[in-house]
Amino acid sequence: MKVSFNWLKNYINKDDISVDEVVEKLTSSGLEVEEVFEQAKVYKNFIIGYVAEHSKHPNAEKLSLCKVNDGANDFSVVCGAPNVTKGQKVVFAKIGAVVPTNGMEIKKVKIRGQESFGMLCSERELGLSENHDGIIVLGDDTQVGKDFSEFIGYDDFILDINITPNRADAFSHIGVCRDLAALFQTDLILPKNGSKEIIAKATDFASVEIINNDACPRYVAKIVKGVTIKESPDWLKKKLKNIGLRPINNVVDVTNFVLHEIGQPLHAFDLDKLAGNKIVVRYAKENEKFVTLDSKERILTSTDLMICDAEKPVALAGVMGGENSEVTETTKNILIESAYFNPSVIRKTSKRLGLSTDASTRFERGCDPEIVIWAARRAADLIQKLGGGEILSGEIDVYPNEIQKKIINLRNSRIEKIMGVAVPAETSKNILSNLGFTFKQQDGDNFTVEVPTFRPDIDREIDLVEEVARIYGFDKVPLIEKINVTLDEKIDQTAFNDNLRNRLVALGLNEIISNSLLSKDIAEKFGNSVSVLNPQSAEMSNTRPSLLPGMLITISKNLKVREKDLAFYEIGHTFIKKSNEIKSFDDIIEHEHLVIALTGTSNFSEWFQEEKAVDFYDIKGIVKSVLDFIAPKKELKFQKVVTDSDNYEYGEESLSDSDKIVSYGKLKNDTAKLFDVNQNVFIADFDLTLLKDLKRKEKIFNDLLKFPKANRDLAFIFDKNISSKEIIDSIKDNCSELLKNVKLFDIFESESIGKNNISMAFGLEFYSSDRTLTEDEIDKEFWNVIEKIKIKFNAKLRGS
Amino acid sequence: MTQKILLTESEFNSDLLNIIDSKSLEEIRIKYFSKKGKISQLFDEFRSLSADEKKLSGKRLNELKSFVQSKLDELKNSFPGSEIKDEKFFDLSLPGREKIIGSKHILIQTLDEIKLIFKGLGFSIHEGPELESDYNNFEALNFPPDHPARDMQDTFFVNKNFLLRTHTSPVQIRLMKAQQPPVRAIMPGKVYRNEAVSAKSYCLFHQVEGLYVDTDVTFAELKGTLIAFARQFFGKDVRYRFRPSFFPFTEPSAEVDIWWQPKDKPGRWLEILGCGMVDPNVLDNVGVDSEKYVGYAFGMGVERIALLKYKIGDIRVFFDNDKRFLTQF
Repeated sequence: MKVSFNWLKNYINKDDISVDEVVEKLTSSGLEVEEVFEQAKVYKNFIIGYVAEHSKHPNAEKLSLCKVNDGANDFSVVCGAPNVTKGQKVVFAKIGAVVPTNGMEIKKVKIRGQESFGMLCSERELGLSENHDGIIVLGDDTQVGKDFSEFIGYDDFILDINITPNRADAFSHIGVCRDLAALFQTDLILPKNGSKEIIAKATDFASVEIINNDACPRYVAKIVKGVTIKESPDWLKKKLKNIGLRPINNVVDVTNFVLHEIGQPLHAFDLDKLAGNKIVVRYAKENEKFVTLDSKERILTSTDLMICDAEKPVALAGVMGGENSEVTETTKNILIESAYFNPSVIRKTSKRLGLSTDASTRFERGCDPEIVIWAARRAADLIQKLGGGEILSGEIDVYPNEIQKKIINLRNSRIEKIMGVAVPAETSKNILSNLGFTFKQQDGDNFTVEVPTFRPDIDREIDLVEEVARIYGFDKVPLIEKINVTLDEKIDQTAFNDNLRNRLVALGLNEIISNSLLSKDIAEKFGNSVSVLNPQSAEMSNTRPSLLPGMLITISKNLKVREKDLAFYEIGHTFIKKSNEIKSFDDIIEHEHLVIALTGTSNFSEWFQEEKAVDFYDIKGIVKSVLDFIAPKKELKFQKVVTDSDNYEYGEESLSDSDKIVSYGKLKNDTAKLFDVNQNVFIADFDLTLLKDLKRKEKIFNDLLKFPKANRDLAFIFDKNISSKEIIDSIKDNCSELLKNVKLFDIFESESIGKNNISMAFGLEFYSSDRTLTEDEIDKEFWNVIEKIKIKFNAKLRGS
Repeated sequence: MTQKILLTESEFNSDLLNIIDSKSLEEIRIKYFSKKGKISQLFDEFRSLSADEKKLSGKRLNELKSFVQSKLDELKNSFPGSEIKDEKFFDLSLPGREKIIGSKHILIQTLDEIKLIFKGLGFSIHEGPELESDYNNFEALNFPPDHPARDMQDTFFVNKNFLLRTHTSPVQIRLMKAQQPPVRAIMPGKVYRNEAVSAKSYCLFHQVEGLYVDTDVTFAELKGTLIAFARQFFGKDVRYRFRPSFFPFTEPSAEVDIWWQPKDKPGRWLEILGCGMVDPNVLDNVGVDSEKYVGYAFGMGVERIALLKYKIGDIRVFFDNDKRFLTQF
C-alpha cells in the first residue's frame, strides 16, 4: 500500500517528525516499509534561476549566451530557446541534474566554442506537459535560489508499506497514523466534518433493503443533491496522484480520498439512475450477467453479492460498481454507499473473478462496521465543498444485528512469560489505549479490555500480548547470554544420510537435486505416480515414483552442454500410489531412495593412464562400497534382474519379500533414449527407507593378527560358462577355516588356451589367530583344493 | 617337479609380504639363494631329472629364478640404508596423479552448516513426509479455512485432503503429537509452492524449521538463539533486526533481516527467516497445555541463504545440476 508522508502528517499531533523516523518506527512495529520514494530527488539540482545577462551566441544564429544567477553565483549558460531574455526567472538545471524525462545528466559542455554550465528548462523536459516551445518563465516574485521541487510542492515521500493479512486496520493513512500515534505516544487527529445538512431527510428520499444479512451486516446510504460534477481541485488531484491513483471527477475522487484516508471503501451512485430510489442487497442469481465499471461483462454465481435497485443490479458488492449507475458529467444527485460486507463473501467473488480492487482488498480483510457513518458523512461533506449541492439530513442505516465488541482479559504478567521482558502495567495500558482499546476493568495487573471494531484480528489474550510487544519494541527484548540445554537423548534423523553422503563423495560422485515433479507421461513409465490437481504446467504434473527419470533428465541436460563423463547421485523421496484414491497415508508409499548413475569414462586419458569407459563392474564396485558402509547384519543376496519388467538391460537385484531393496545394472538403451541419452548408463537404486530398517552389523574391534599370514596363488583354465562366484564358493567349501580370504586377481583369455576357455588366477590367504601355520599344513590345504577344483570344474591347472 | 616350482613360487609370494626392512630382505634372499636355499635345491634336483622331465620344467624353473631375483632387487631400493642408486632424470613438472573426489550439493552443504550450529545449541533433528495431509499442513497450524495460503494458487493439491507440504511446519505437529514437551528440534526438508519457475522462485525449495517448547521458553530466548545462529553463520559482526510480522501459527511473529552490503552496490535489509512464539491454538491442537507451556518456532529457506552466501543470481541453477556448477563446491 502506498501512503504519502505529507498526508500522514495531517492526522498526527506531532510536527517535528522526519520521514526516516517514521520509516524506522513503522518497520520496527509491524508495518514494513518496503520502499521510500523521495519526490525531491527527481528535481535534484533544479533550482530557480535569474537571467542576469543575455546576448547572442557569437557563432550560432539561433543560440543565446546567458549569465544565470542561482541566488549566489553567476553561471554561463548556452540556451537555444527563442523566448529567453534578460530579467526572467527560470528553472535552471545545474551541473549534476538529471533530466527526468530522458535521463540525461547535465554536464559542463562547449557549444560552438562557448562553455555552458547548465541548462534552462522547458515544461516538457521537466515532465510537466508536452510544451517545448520555449523555457518556463516564472513570475517576477519567484524567489531565486529555491529548489524547483519545493517551488512546485513536489516534496513528498511516498512510502510503500507491506500490510500483513492480519492488519486490516492499517489499510489507510489514518490506520497507519494510529500506530504512529502509539509509537510516538501522541494523539491521533481525526478530521472534522463541518457542512450543514438541510432539513429534508435521506430516509424520506430513498430506501435500503438487505436480503442477505449474513453477507451484508450493515449498509449506510447518504444523499447529496444538486452536485456539480467537475474536475477536482489541485490539492485533491495531487494527493491521489502521489499514491498512484488517477483523478476522475470530484465525486469519485472524494470517495477514493476517503477510502485512503480512513480505509472505508465507498461507492457513489447516480441516484437518478437507481430505479425506485431503492437499494436492494442480495446474492446474484446463477449465471446472472452484469457489466462492471471497466466495461467487462461478468457472469455471476449465487455466491456473489449484488447491490441492486428496484429493478436491476447496479454494483458488484464490495468489488466494483456498474456502468449503468456510475457518476457522469450530467449527474446531479448522489447516493453514497458506505457498507460493511462479510469478508469471506467479498474474497470469494474477488478471487473467482480475478478482480482485485482497492475496495475488495479492504473488505476481504475486514473493515470497521462502526466507521461507515463517519465515512459517509466525511464524503458528503467533501463533495458538497467541492461540487456544491445540499446534503440531506441523516442517513439510511440498515444494521439489523449490531456487531458486538469483543471483551478480552489480559494478565500483564503473561507478557513477560511470553516475551521474556517485563513491561510495566502502565506502559501496556498506554500502548493499548493509543491503539484504540478501551479498559473496562482492572484488577491489579489484570485488565479487561474492549476491542475496537476496526481490529477484527484481535480475539485472544495472546493478540493483546503481541500488540503491546510490537509497539513496546522487539529491540527492547533483552539479548540473553545463556540457554538451557536438556540432557536427554538428541536424535538426528538425518545422520544416516549425512554419513552415507560422505561415503558417496569419497567414491567420486557429485550430488544432484532434481525436481520431484515430472510430466505424467514420464512419471507413469516408472511407476504408479501421484498426480497434482493443479500443476504449474504439464511438465510438472506428477510426483516422481522413482529418482531415475530426474537422474536421466540431469544426464541429458549435461550431455547437451558437452559434459559427457558423469558420476552422480541423488537422495530423495519417491511417491507411489497404492490405490486409485488417496484417502489416508496408507494409500501412498513415500520412500527415500538413493540413485547413482555412471556414464562416459571413469579414467581420463592422462600421461600415466589410458582412458577407460565405465562399465558394469564400476557400478557393482560402488554398490559394494555403499553396502559395506550400510553393513546389513544379514548380508543381502543378489539375483539377476528380470530384464523384461525392468529398466535394466542386465543387472542384479536384492529383494526382501517382494520389495526391491537394491538393484543395479546397465540401463536399457530404450529407456536412455527416452531422455535423449545416447551413451551407456549404469544405474544403482537403493531403497533407503527399507535399508535403514535393516539391522546393521555392530562395529566391534577384531584383534590384530599376531601370527603371519600365508599366501598361495593358483591359476586354472576353465570353461567360459563357469562363473567366478561358483569357483570362489567351491574353493571356500574345500578348505578349512584356516582359509580366510580368496581373491580373484587375474583373468586372461586367449586363443592359446582355447577359444571357449578362460584363465582365472586366485590368491588364497591362510592364517590362524592362535599360532603360526606350518608350511606342511598350508600345502596340504592347497593341494587338496587344487584337486577338487580340477575335478569339479574339469579345470586345468596353469603351469602344469 | 612342476608342483614344487609352483609351491615355491606361492611360498615366495607369501614371504614377500613379510619383508619389511633390509634385514628381513636379506633373510629371504638367503632362504632362496644360499647354497642350501630353496632355488639352489630345485636346481640340484633338476640336474638329476631325465631329459624328458628337464624339457618339461626347465623353462619354468628359470622363470621362477629370474622372478624371485627381480622382486628382491626391486625391494632392495625401497629400504633406507640399502644401497642408493643414482636417480634418473625425471620431470618434476609433470602433473600429479589426482584422484577424483565427489561433491555434496551446495544446498546440502548449506544445510549441513545450519544443522551443525543448531545441534551445538541442543536441537534434535527430525524429518517428515513431503506428501502431507491438509490437516497437518494447514488446519493444525491455525490457518483459517479461507486463508489465502490455502488457495490453489500457492499449494499443490493431490486431492481435498492431501497436498505437497508448503512448509516444514507440519513436522512440528507430528513431533508434538508424538512427544510431550520439552521438545527442541530442527526439521529440514523439501517444500513445494505452486509458483511459476523463474530466476527468483522455483516450485520446490528447502526449509529448516525450528521448534522449542517448554515451560520457560520466551521470545528473548528465541531472539538470542537466532542471533547466535546468525553470528555463527554470517559472521560475528552481522547486523540484524527483528521486525514484527504475521504467520498463522505463531504469535507474536517476527521476521529477521540481516544487513547485506555488497561491495559495489548500496546495502539493504534482507529477510532471512520468519519466527515467533507458537500460537496457543497450535499447542491446543496437539494436546499440549498452552497455559503451562510456551514455545517458539522459526523457519528459514536454505536456497535464499545459499544464494546470498555464494552470490548466486538465479535459483534455477540449484536444480539444473550442471556438472560445471556441482563441481565448484
